[in-house]
Amino acid sequence: MRNRQRLLGLVTGSVLVACADIAAPSRGDAYEWRRLQGTSSGVDTLSFHWAGADLPVRFWAEDSLNLPAHVQGGIGRWEAVFLYGEFSGVVVSDSSTADVIVTTGIAPKGGFSIARLESGFAPECQGATDIELSSNGQQILRPIRVYVDPRFAPGSPGVDDCMALTTTHELGHALGIFTHSPDPEDIMYADPAVSALSRRDRSTAELAYHTEPTLTIAPR
Amino acid sequence: MRAIVAVLMIVAAAAGPRLQAQVEYNARLGVTWATPLIRDDIVEEVELRQKLAPTLSLGASLPIAPRYRAGLEVMLTSSGYRASETATSTDLGTLRTGSVTLGLHGPIAANFGWRAGAGLLGYWPKDERGIFLRGGTTRFLAGAGVDFRRPVWSHWEMMVSLGYDFHRFTTGELQGRGFSQSQGVQRISAAVGLAKGSR
Repeated sequence: MRNRQRLLGLVTGSVLVACADIAAPSRGDAYEWRRLQGTSSGVDTLSFHWAGADLPVRFWAEDSLNLPAHVQGGIGRWEAVFLYGEFSGVVVSDSSTADVIVTTGIAPKGGFSIARLESGFAPECQGATDIELSSNGQQILRPIRVYVDPRFAPGSPGVDDCMALTTTHELGHALGIFTHSPDPEDIMYADPAVSALSRRDRSTAELAYHTEPTLTIAPR
Repeated sequence: MRAIVAVLMIVAAAAGPRLQAQVEYNARLGVTWATPLIRDDIVEEVELRQKLAPTLSLGASLPIAPRYRAGLEVMLTSSGYRASETATSTDLGTLRTGSVTLGLHGPIAANFGWRAGAGLLGYWPKDERGIFLRGGTTRFLAGAGVDFRRPVWSHWEMMVSLGYDFHRFTTGELQGRGFSQSQGVQRISAAVGLAKGSR
Protein backbone atom coordinates (compact mmCIF):
# COMPACT_ATOMS: atom_id res chain seq x y z
CA MET A 1 0.00 0.00 0.00
CA ARG A 2 2.78 2.37 0.99
CA ASN A 3 4.75 1.44 -2.10
CA ARG A 4 1.71 2.14 -4.25
CA GLN A 5 1.35 5.61 -2.68
CA ARG A 6 5.02 6.31 -3.27
CA LEU A 7 4.71 5.22 -6.88
CA LEU A 8 1.60 7.38 -7.32
CA GLY A 9 3.45 10.33 -5.77
CA LEU A 10 6.43 9.76 -8.03
CA VAL A 11 4.23 9.58 -11.13
CA THR A 12 2.26 12.68 -10.11
CA GLY A 13 5.48 14.60 -9.40
CA SER A 14 6.98 13.54 -12.71
CA VAL A 15 3.89 14.62 -14.62
CA LEU A 16 3.88 18.02 -12.86
CA VAL A 17 7.56 18.56 -13.61
CA ALA A 18 7.08 17.39 -17.19
CA CYS A 19 4.17 19.73 -17.82
CA ALA A 20 5.71 22.85 -16.23
CA ASP A 21 6.40 25.67 -18.66
CA ILE A 22 9.55 27.69 -18.91
CA ALA A 23 9.33 30.82 -16.75
CA ALA A 24 10.03 34.06 -18.63
CA PRO A 25 11.84 36.88 -16.86
CA SER A 26 9.93 39.99 -15.87
CA ARG A 27 10.08 42.93 -18.28
CA GLY A 28 8.94 45.26 -15.51
CA ASP A 29 12.18 47.24 -15.66
CA ALA A 30 11.30 48.79 -19.02
CA TYR A 31 11.23 52.58 -19.26
CA GLU A 32 8.64 54.69 -21.11
CA TRP A 33 9.33 54.56 -24.85
CA ARG A 34 6.27 56.38 -26.16
CA ARG A 35 6.40 60.07 -26.93
CA LEU A 36 3.75 62.17 -25.24
CA GLN A 37 3.05 65.18 -27.41
CA GLY A 38 0.96 68.15 -26.38
CA THR A 39 -1.93 69.05 -28.67
CA SER A 40 -4.67 71.67 -28.54
CA SER A 41 -7.02 69.10 -27.04
CA GLY A 42 -4.62 67.50 -24.59
CA VAL A 43 -1.85 64.95 -24.92
CA ASP A 44 -1.27 62.61 -27.82
CA THR A 45 0.70 59.40 -27.35
CA LEU A 46 2.97 58.52 -30.25
CA SER A 47 4.27 54.99 -30.49
CA PHE A 48 5.64 52.98 -33.35
CA HIS A 49 7.36 49.80 -34.28
CA TRP A 50 8.27 48.29 -37.60
CA ALA A 51 5.73 45.69 -38.66
CA GLY A 52 6.75 42.24 -39.84
CA ALA A 53 5.75 43.13 -43.41
CA ASP A 54 8.29 45.99 -43.42
CA LEU A 55 11.21 43.80 -42.41
CA PRO A 56 14.06 43.85 -42.99
CA VAL A 57 14.23 47.60 -42.44
CA ARG A 58 16.58 49.12 -45.02
CA PHE A 59 19.26 51.44 -43.72
CA TRP A 60 21.49 53.58 -45.85
CA ALA A 61 24.64 55.03 -44.33
CA GLU A 62 26.82 57.80 -45.69
CA ASP A 63 30.25 56.45 -46.55
CA SER A 64 32.07 58.67 -44.13
CA LEU A 65 33.61 58.47 -40.67
CA ASN A 66 33.17 54.71 -40.57
CA LEU A 67 29.41 55.22 -40.52
CA PRO A 68 28.46 52.08 -42.54
CA ALA A 69 30.27 49.92 -39.99
CA HIS A 70 28.66 51.76 -37.08
CA VAL A 71 25.22 51.32 -38.64
CA GLN A 72 25.85 47.64 -39.28
CA GLY A 73 26.99 47.25 -35.68
CA GLY A 74 23.95 49.12 -34.39
CA ILE A 75 21.58 46.95 -36.43
CA GLY A 76 23.26 43.84 -35.03
CA ARG A 77 22.96 45.08 -31.44
CA TRP A 78 19.25 45.79 -31.84
CA GLU A 79 18.54 42.55 -33.69
CA ALA A 80 20.15 40.65 -30.82
CA VAL A 81 17.58 42.11 -28.44
CA PHE A 82 14.70 40.20 -29.95
CA LEU A 83 13.90 36.52 -29.40
CA TYR A 84 11.08 36.11 -31.88
CA GLY A 85 12.19 37.86 -35.09
CA GLU A 86 10.43 41.12 -34.25
CA PHE A 87 13.08 43.25 -35.98
CA SER A 88 15.74 42.84 -38.64
CA GLY A 89 17.64 45.35 -40.71
CA VAL A 90 19.99 45.50 -43.68
CA VAL A 91 22.33 48.14 -45.02
CA VAL A 92 21.46 49.05 -48.61
CA SER A 93 23.60 50.84 -51.17
CA ASP A 94 20.85 52.92 -52.76
CA SER A 95 19.54 55.69 -50.53
CA SER A 96 16.41 56.05 -52.66
CA THR A 97 15.21 52.64 -51.42
CA ALA A 98 16.10 53.21 -47.78
CA ASP A 99 13.67 53.33 -44.87
CA VAL A 100 16.25 55.01 -42.65
CA ILE A 101 19.02 57.31 -43.87
CA VAL A 102 22.00 57.85 -41.62
CA THR A 103 24.34 60.73 -42.39
CA THR A 104 27.02 62.72 -40.68
CA GLY A 105 26.40 66.34 -39.89
CA ILE A 106 24.19 68.35 -37.62
CA ALA A 107 20.45 67.94 -38.04
CA PRO A 108 18.90 70.86 -39.95
CA LYS A 109 16.72 73.08 -37.81
CA GLY A 110 13.06 73.43 -38.58
CA GLY A 111 11.62 73.44 -42.06
CA PHE A 112 9.37 70.42 -41.92
CA SER A 113 6.80 68.78 -39.75
CA ILE A 114 9.00 66.68 -37.59
CA ALA A 115 9.10 64.99 -34.28
CA ARG A 116 12.73 65.63 -33.42
CA LEU A 117 14.12 62.99 -31.14
CA GLU A 118 17.28 64.67 -30.04
CA SER A 119 20.02 62.56 -28.71
CA GLY A 120 22.26 63.48 -25.94
CA PHE A 121 25.55 65.09 -26.12
CA ALA A 122 28.28 62.67 -25.35
CA PRO A 123 31.42 64.79 -25.19
CA GLU A 124 32.91 63.72 -28.50
CA CYS A 125 29.87 63.59 -30.75
CA GLN A 126 26.16 64.23 -31.04
CA GLY A 127 23.18 62.80 -32.81
CA ALA A 128 19.56 63.39 -33.69
CA THR A 129 16.71 61.50 -35.32
CA ASP A 130 14.03 63.22 -37.35
CA ILE A 131 10.71 61.56 -37.95
CA GLU A 132 8.37 63.29 -40.33
CA LEU A 133 4.68 62.67 -39.85
CA SER A 134 1.94 62.74 -42.48
CA SER A 135 -0.47 65.67 -42.46
CA ASN A 136 -3.04 63.72 -40.45
CA GLY A 137 -0.38 62.72 -37.94
CA GLN A 138 -1.16 59.00 -38.31
CA GLN A 139 1.77 57.85 -40.41
CA ILE A 140 5.53 58.19 -40.44
CA LEU A 141 6.89 59.23 -43.80
CA ARG A 142 9.93 57.48 -45.20
CA PRO A 143 12.78 57.88 -44.78
CA ILE A 144 13.48 58.42 -41.12
CA ARG A 145 16.60 60.56 -40.96
CA VAL A 146 19.38 60.00 -38.48
CA TYR A 147 22.27 62.43 -37.99
CA VAL A 148 25.48 61.61 -36.19
CA ASP A 149 28.23 64.18 -35.98
CA PRO A 150 31.64 64.36 -34.31
CA ARG A 151 32.33 67.36 -32.15
CA PHE A 152 36.08 67.14 -32.75
CA ALA A 153 38.33 66.12 -35.60
CA PRO A 154 37.37 62.57 -36.63
CA GLY A 155 40.71 61.07 -35.61
CA SER A 156 40.57 62.48 -32.10
CA PRO A 157 40.56 60.01 -29.19
CA GLY A 158 37.15 58.69 -28.33
CA VAL A 159 35.39 60.03 -31.43
CA ASP A 160 35.01 56.68 -33.20
CA ASP A 161 33.68 54.96 -30.07
CA CYS A 162 31.29 57.84 -29.50
CA MET A 163 30.07 57.65 -33.10
CA ALA A 164 29.41 53.93 -32.64
CA LEU A 165 27.37 54.24 -29.46
CA THR A 166 25.55 57.35 -30.66
CA THR A 167 24.62 55.58 -33.90
CA THR A 168 23.23 52.65 -31.89
CA HIS A 169 21.33 55.14 -29.71
CA GLU A 170 19.84 56.92 -32.72
CA LEU A 171 18.90 53.64 -34.39
CA GLY A 172 16.99 52.88 -31.18
CA HIS A 173 14.88 55.96 -31.90
CA ALA A 174 14.41 54.83 -35.51
CA LEU A 175 13.22 51.46 -34.21
CA GLY A 176 10.49 53.14 -32.16
CA ILE A 177 11.99 54.03 -28.79
CA PHE A 178 10.92 57.66 -28.96
CA THR A 179 12.08 58.77 -25.52
CA HIS A 180 15.18 58.60 -23.38
CA SER A 181 15.91 56.31 -20.49
CA PRO A 182 16.39 57.95 -17.10
CA ASP A 183 19.26 55.55 -16.32
CA PRO A 184 22.86 56.33 -17.41
CA GLU A 185 23.55 52.59 -17.73
CA ASP A 186 21.21 52.39 -20.73
CA ILE A 187 22.14 53.05 -24.35
CA MET A 188 18.95 55.11 -24.64
CA TYR A 189 19.99 57.48 -21.87
CA ALA A 190 19.97 61.07 -23.16
CA ASP A 191 23.71 61.31 -22.75
CA PRO A 192 24.73 57.75 -23.60
CA ALA A 193 28.04 56.53 -22.28
CA VAL A 194 27.70 52.74 -22.54
CA SER A 195 28.27 50.83 -25.76
CA ALA A 196 26.14 47.78 -24.98
CA LEU A 197 22.41 47.56 -24.60
CA SER A 198 21.27 47.01 -21.05
CA ARG A 199 18.62 44.66 -19.76
CA ARG A 200 16.29 47.67 -19.47
CA ASP A 201 16.94 48.64 -23.10
CA ARG A 202 16.09 45.07 -24.06
CA SER A 203 12.90 44.93 -21.99
CA THR A 204 11.79 48.29 -23.40
CA ALA A 205 12.36 47.26 -27.01
CA GLU A 206 10.55 43.96 -26.45
CA LEU A 207 7.55 45.72 -24.93
CA ALA A 208 7.54 48.33 -27.72
CA TYR A 209 7.39 45.57 -30.33
CA HIS A 210 4.55 43.73 -28.62
CA THR A 211 2.37 46.78 -28.01
CA GLU A 212 -0.07 48.05 -30.63
CA PRO A 213 1.49 51.21 -32.11
CA THR A 214 -0.41 54.44 -32.70
CA LEU A 215 1.64 55.26 -35.81
CA THR A 216 2.27 53.20 -38.91
CA ILE A 217 4.85 53.69 -41.63
CA ALA A 218 3.56 55.19 -44.87
CA PRO A 219 3.58 52.85 -47.87
CA ARG A 220 6.55 53.12 -50.20
CA MET B 1 25.93 15.09 -36.47
CA ARG B 2 29.34 13.91 -37.66
CA ALA B 3 29.98 12.43 -34.24
CA ILE B 4 26.78 10.38 -34.39
CA VAL B 5 27.62 9.00 -37.83
CA ALA B 6 31.17 8.24 -36.72
CA VAL B 7 29.95 6.32 -33.65
CA LEU B 8 27.57 4.24 -35.78
CA MET B 9 30.31 3.41 -38.27
CA ILE B 10 32.73 2.41 -35.51
CA VAL B 11 30.12 0.19 -33.82
CA ALA B 12 29.26 -1.50 -37.11
CA ALA B 13 32.92 -2.06 -37.96
CA ALA B 14 33.72 -3.37 -34.49
CA ALA B 15 30.95 -5.95 -34.52
CA GLY B 16 32.20 -9.34 -35.60
CA PRO B 17 30.61 -11.32 -38.48
CA ARG B 18 28.53 -13.45 -36.09
CA LEU B 19 27.22 -10.43 -34.31
CA GLN B 20 26.55 -8.68 -37.57
CA ALA B 21 24.40 -11.62 -38.66
CA GLN B 22 22.06 -10.95 -35.75
CA VAL B 23 21.84 -7.22 -36.25
CA GLU B 24 18.61 -5.89 -37.58
CA TYR B 25 18.59 -2.59 -39.42
CA ASN B 26 15.71 -0.32 -40.24
CA ALA B 27 15.15 2.95 -42.03
CA ARG B 28 11.97 4.98 -41.89
CA LEU B 29 10.61 8.21 -43.30
CA GLY B 30 7.83 10.17 -41.68
CA VAL B 31 6.81 13.33 -39.92
CA THR B 32 7.17 14.68 -36.41
CA TRP B 33 4.83 17.03 -34.59
CA ALA B 34 5.99 18.87 -31.49
CA THR B 35 4.46 20.95 -28.74
CA PRO B 36 5.79 24.55 -28.30
CA LEU B 37 9.45 25.11 -27.47
CA ILE B 38 8.59 28.25 -25.52
CA ARG B 39 5.60 30.00 -24.12
CA ASP B 40 6.56 33.56 -23.26
CA ASP B 41 4.48 36.46 -22.04
CA ILE B 42 5.27 39.89 -23.49
CA VAL B 43 2.06 41.92 -23.22
CA GLU B 44 0.33 38.80 -24.53
CA GLU B 45 1.35 35.18 -24.95
CA VAL B 46 4.01 34.40 -27.52
CA GLU B 47 4.43 30.81 -28.57
CA LEU B 48 7.40 29.45 -30.48
CA ARG B 49 7.12 26.07 -32.12
CA GLN B 50 8.47 23.88 -34.86
CA LYS B 51 6.37 23.18 -37.88
CA LEU B 52 5.50 19.62 -38.86
CA ALA B 53 8.91 18.18 -39.62
CA PRO B 54 9.92 15.61 -42.24
CA THR B 55 11.77 12.90 -40.35
CA LEU B 56 14.35 10.26 -41.15
CA SER B 57 14.93 7.48 -38.62
CA LEU B 58 17.70 4.92 -38.77
CA GLY B 59 17.92 2.09 -36.30
CA ALA B 60 19.86 -1.03 -35.46
CA SER B 61 19.20 -3.64 -32.81
CA LEU B 62 20.70 -6.80 -31.36
CA PRO B 63 19.04 -9.64 -29.45
CA ILE B 64 19.82 -9.61 -25.74
CA ALA B 65 17.24 -12.16 -24.57
CA PRO B 66 14.82 -14.54 -26.32
CA ARG B 67 12.12 -11.88 -26.66
CA TYR B 68 14.06 -8.67 -26.31
CA ARG B 69 16.51 -6.64 -28.31
CA ALA B 70 18.68 -3.66 -27.49
CA GLY B 71 18.57 -0.92 -30.08
CA LEU B 72 20.23 2.26 -31.15
CA GLU B 73 18.15 4.77 -33.08
CA VAL B 74 19.07 7.99 -34.80
CA MET B 75 16.26 10.36 -35.72
CA LEU B 76 16.76 13.47 -37.83
CA THR B 77 14.21 16.21 -38.48
CA SER B 78 14.32 19.46 -40.41
CA SER B 79 11.59 22.05 -40.52
CA GLY B 80 10.79 25.71 -40.14
CA TYR B 81 9.94 27.19 -36.80
CA ARG B 82 7.87 30.22 -36.02
CA ALA B 83 6.70 32.56 -33.31
CA SER B 84 3.00 33.29 -33.01
CA GLU B 85 0.85 35.60 -30.99
CA THR B 86 -2.77 36.59 -31.38
CA ALA B 87 -2.52 38.57 -34.60
CA THR B 88 0.86 37.75 -36.04
CA SER B 89 3.06 34.84 -36.94
CA THR B 90 6.74 35.20 -37.80
CA ASP B 91 8.83 32.59 -39.59
CA LEU B 92 12.20 32.31 -37.92
CA GLY B 93 14.08 30.07 -40.32
CA THR B 94 15.07 26.44 -40.34
CA LEU B 95 15.64 24.25 -37.33
CA ARG B 96 17.19 20.82 -37.52
CA THR B 97 17.19 18.26 -34.76
CA GLY B 98 18.99 14.99 -34.32
CA SER B 99 18.56 12.45 -31.58
CA VAL B 100 20.40 9.31 -30.56
CA THR B 101 18.45 6.89 -28.41
CA LEU B 102 19.51 3.67 -26.75
CA GLY B 103 16.62 1.42 -25.86
CA LEU B 104 14.88 -1.89 -25.52
CA HIS B 105 12.54 -3.52 -28.02
CA GLY B 106 10.03 -6.24 -27.26
CA PRO B 107 6.92 -7.91 -28.64
CA ILE B 108 3.34 -6.96 -27.87
CA ALA B 109 1.29 -9.33 -29.97
CA ALA B 110 1.22 -10.66 -33.51
CA ASN B 111 2.99 -8.12 -35.68
CA PHE B 112 3.18 -5.40 -33.05
CA GLY B 113 6.16 -4.54 -30.91
CA TRP B 114 7.14 -1.91 -28.41
CA ARG B 115 10.28 0.08 -27.88
CA ALA B 116 11.42 2.44 -25.17
CA GLY B 117 14.64 4.29 -24.62
CA ALA B 118 16.54 7.35 -23.61
CA GLY B 119 19.23 9.45 -25.20
CA LEU B 120 20.25 12.87 -26.36
CA LEU B 121 18.57 15.36 -28.65
CA GLY B 122 20.42 18.19 -30.37
CA TYR B 123 18.96 21.36 -31.90
CA TRP B 124 20.86 22.90 -34.79
CA PRO B 125 19.37 26.17 -36.03
CA LYS B 126 20.39 27.30 -39.50
CA ASP B 127 20.88 30.85 -38.23
CA GLU B 128 22.15 31.67 -34.77
CA ARG B 129 19.75 34.36 -33.70
CA GLY B 130 16.81 34.89 -31.37
CA ILE B 131 16.57 32.08 -28.83
CA PHE B 132 19.53 30.42 -30.57
CA LEU B 133 21.75 33.52 -30.51
CA ARG B 134 24.32 31.58 -28.48
CA GLY B 135 23.97 28.49 -30.64
CA GLY B 136 22.02 25.26 -30.51
CA THR B 137 21.42 23.08 -27.51
CA THR B 138 21.56 19.43 -26.47
CA ARG B 139 18.96 17.92 -24.15
CA PHE B 140 18.21 14.58 -22.53
CA LEU B 141 15.39 12.69 -24.16
CA ALA B 142 13.14 9.79 -23.21
CA GLY B 143 10.70 8.11 -25.49
CA ALA B 144 8.65 5.09 -26.41
CA GLY B 145 6.88 3.77 -29.45
CA VAL B 146 4.91 1.05 -31.13
CA ASP B 147 5.97 -0.67 -34.35
CA PHE B 148 3.91 -2.71 -36.74
CA ARG B 149 5.83 -5.08 -39.00
CA ARG B 150 4.77 -7.15 -41.92
CA PRO B 151 7.07 -9.37 -43.99
CA VAL B 152 7.31 -8.25 -47.58
CA TRP B 153 10.03 -10.58 -48.87
CA SER B 154 12.90 -12.62 -47.57
CA HIS B 155 14.53 -10.89 -44.58
CA TRP B 156 12.68 -7.68 -45.35
CA GLU B 157 9.76 -6.27 -43.41
CA MET B 158 7.61 -3.24 -43.92
CA MET B 159 7.57 -1.21 -40.75
CA VAL B 160 5.04 1.35 -39.55
CA SER B 161 5.99 3.23 -36.40
CA LEU B 162 4.36 5.58 -33.99
CA GLY B 163 6.66 7.27 -31.52
CA TYR B 164 6.44 9.59 -28.58
CA ASP B 165 9.30 11.35 -26.85
CA PHE B 166 9.77 13.98 -24.24
CA HIS B 167 12.48 16.43 -23.28
CA ARG B 168 12.87 19.72 -21.49
CA PHE B 169 13.95 22.58 -23.71
CA THR B 170 16.04 25.65 -23.05
CA THR B 171 19.00 27.37 -24.69
CA GLY B 172 22.05 29.29 -23.54
CA GLU B 173 20.46 32.53 -24.72
CA LEU B 174 17.26 31.90 -22.75
CA GLN B 175 19.22 31.04 -19.61
CA GLY B 176 21.40 34.11 -20.10
CA ARG B 177 18.31 36.28 -20.19
CA GLY B 178 16.98 34.89 -16.96
CA PHE B 179 14.44 32.37 -18.19
CA SER B 180 14.15 29.89 -15.38
CA GLN B 181 13.30 26.19 -15.53
CA SER B 182 12.76 24.79 -19.00
CA GLN B 183 9.89 23.98 -21.29
CA GLY B 184 8.51 20.47 -21.45
CA VAL B 185 8.37 19.50 -25.11
CA GLN B 186 6.56 16.44 -26.35
CA ARG B 187 6.97 15.06 -29.84
CA ILE B 188 4.89 12.55 -31.72
CA SER B 189 6.22 10.93 -34.86
CA ALA B 190 4.75 8.65 -37.44
CA ALA B 191 6.91 6.87 -39.98
CA VAL B 192 6.93 4.12 -42.58
CA GLY B 193 9.96 2.19 -43.68
CA LEU B 194 11.75 -1.08 -44.11
CA ALA B 195 13.57 -3.36 -41.72
CA LYS B 196 16.15 -5.93 -42.71
CA GLY B 197 17.49 -8.48 -40.34
CA SER B 198 17.60 -11.87 -38.76
CA ARG B 199 13.97 -12.38 -37.79
